[in-house]
Amino acid sequence: MSSATGDAVESAISAARRAFGGVWRPIGRVLRWLLPPERARWILDTSDRHGWALLAVATLVVAALPFVGLQEGFYMTIASELFLFSILALSWDLVGGQTGYPSFGNMAFFGVGAYATAILVKDHAVAFPAAFVVAGLLALVFAGVIGAIVLRLRGGYFAIATLGVLLTAQQVSRNLEITGGSSGKILLEVPSQTTFYYVFLGVLVVEVGLVYYLSKTRFGYVLNAIRDDEEKATSMGFNTTYYKTAAWMLAALFTAFAGGTWSLFNTFIDPQTAYNAAWNVEIIAMSLLGGAGTVAGPVIGAVGLHAIVVIVETLATGWQLIVVGVIVIAVVIAFPRGAVGTVAEYASELEYYRYGGGSQAEDASETDGGGEREVTEPADIGGPNGPGVDDE
Amino acid sequence: MAAVAQFVVNGLLVGALFAAVAVGFALIWGVVDIINLAHGEMVMLGGYVSYWTLVTVVGDAAGSPIVALATVPIAIAVLFVVGYILQRTLVAQVIGTDVFLTLLVTFGMSIAIQQLAIRAWTANPRAIQVGFEDPSISTLGLVVPKMKLVAFLGAIALTAVLYLYLVRTRSGRAIRAVAQNPDAAALVGVDVEHTRALTFGLSSAIAGGVGAFIAMILSIQPQMGLIYTLKSFVIVVFGGIGSIPGALVGGLLLGTVEELTTGLISSSWTLAVSFGLLVVLLIVKPRGLFGQGVSE
Repeated sequence: MSSATGDAVESAISAARRAFGGVWRPIGRVLRWLLPPERARWILDTSDRHGWALLAVATLVVAALPFVGLQEGFYMTIASELFLFSILALSWDLVGGQTGYPSFGNMAFFGVGAYATAILVKDHAVAFPAAFVVAGLLALVFAGVIGAIVLRLRGGYFAIATLGVLLTAQQVSRNLEITGGSSGKILLEVPSQTTFYYVFLGVLVVEVGLVYYLSKTRFGYVLNAIRDDEEKATSMGFNTTYYKTAAWMLAALFTAFAGGTWSLFNTFIDPQTAYNAAWNVEIIAMSLLGGAGTVAGPVIGAVGLHAIVVIVETLATGWQLIVVGVIVIAVVIAFPRGAVGTVAEYASELEYYRYGGGSQAEDASETDGGGEREVTEPADIGGPNGPGVDDE
Repeated sequence: MAAVAQFVVNGLLVGALFAAVAVGFALIWGVVDIINLAHGEMVMLGGYVSYWTLVTVVGDAAGSPIVALATVPIAIAVLFVVGYILQRTLVAQVIGTDVFLTLLVTFGMSIAIQQLAIRAWTANPRAIQVGFEDPSISTLGLVVPKMKLVAFLGAIALTAVLYLYLVRTRSGRAIRAVAQNPDAAALVGVDVEHTRALTFGLSSAIAGGVGAFIAMILSIQPQMGLIYTLKSFVIVVFGGIGSIPGALVGGLLLGTVEELTTGLISSSWTLAVSFGLLVVLLIVKPRGLFGQGVSE
């Protein structure tokens, strides 16, 4: 590249960077003004202390909606979809965010659950509740077998191996007779929309409760330890294979429940929609948007991103995936820690003033991941509470 | 037996194209430490650049071999610029962070490019018709389509040029230096940012060039990218990260396996068979066949 064109490219790039910063910096300032450290800390502490009460109240309010005016139709479909994506994002996050294994193939379990339920209900006249349970168990077994292979891999290898599992599962269901080939299956006799609303809500509430409970137990801590340094976790005497396989199977179970319910809810499945790689990216984006590795984050992200997708779909059909792609890129660059992570970051700034720079340095090492570090390391290492307790 | 030999020949012909795409993928992985999930989209864009150049200049998507081949350098040049800019503006922001963030950024690029392509050019498959007077050569009972042979040679040539560039030239040496140790390279005066963008540009350029060939021998459509990304991954893991000869052997092998699967079983099982092989290989030999102990 000649130097003249090189300079032109160079200046165009720095202009683009300035424009990006110009958009992004005022947003950051407004956010910081809205969320001073005390308030951020209060939000985190309160939601943490009253987690169960918040979950119960939210469940009651949402469960009461159909009684106070939410009728079957467009809005109930959207609400059910919000629950569906929350389940998927939270399941993804159990392995991707909490354990540090970014799966690009979670939708394989969704497809297995969806197909198992559809085949049982349609071809074998099994009642929906029984089919739902059988589909979950089937996905559990499938996840056990796949997990034994792919969980030996890490990072990018794991990501692409899981993507391969997803695409292979899609191809297999396209070739088999029992799944109806590439034309899929149409399901006509299905329960009412309100039933699905409550099934999705029920699965979601159980999952949120379970993940919240686990995040407070040894199990949850070991998962986070695997994410942070698997070798150290092993050398502490934990059988990491057991823990990560258990998390993986649990995620598969809930994903399959969601898939099984979805197949009837949607009244139609085919390999393209049941094993949807684009949805897989969407649920990762949701988890990241809300805050990977937290309990509330994936749910917040799922509701936020799916709402955006629905709005774009209504205003400009066909552009929703482009918007998803752009949002994913922007979020990863601007808010790598998501909504909950950003609140935690703001809250930890108070720690900085209260206890000195230990928490801040901890922070930087976490986000930079060994890259060039811009924050100089201060001498003292945190206050009485230890350095930066900002990690959920 | 003759049929099997024919499948192997077909596989080798297509495999060279897979190999050249994979070499670009391996280059970014090795130098910038990014698994570029949008790599297949560069193949797709290269195919469309070639296609639209031909349509604009000739008037329709058919041409003599010379005219068709003349579009390949254009695809290479355009994709070099696209790759360079993508690295400077987007990918550079997440270098050195969690592997998962880099995967997401490139997957975001992949979706956005793919969907924009559908908007712009519809999802219909397109192909470039290259007119030969006598479309294939027959020797020893084997049939070799001339265009496939040209594409095979083109892909080998692109790979060879890239290899020589990396080994012989000064900027090629800078690229290898950045791959080994970016900090040390910066200390001796290498512009690391520029070198990484150059690498990304070269990687996209070779993918784009192959995309042009693919438009001539197979067909192109906006959603073809993901499959090529996955194939590249299989090949690179097969051959060992950072090894161009390994990627070449891996590509030829994958092409052969796929053609044999298509011929002996059915074309609808190729993906399952290649991924099955990959999984077995990852378990048996995680470093790949030609891996040089590059740590993950």
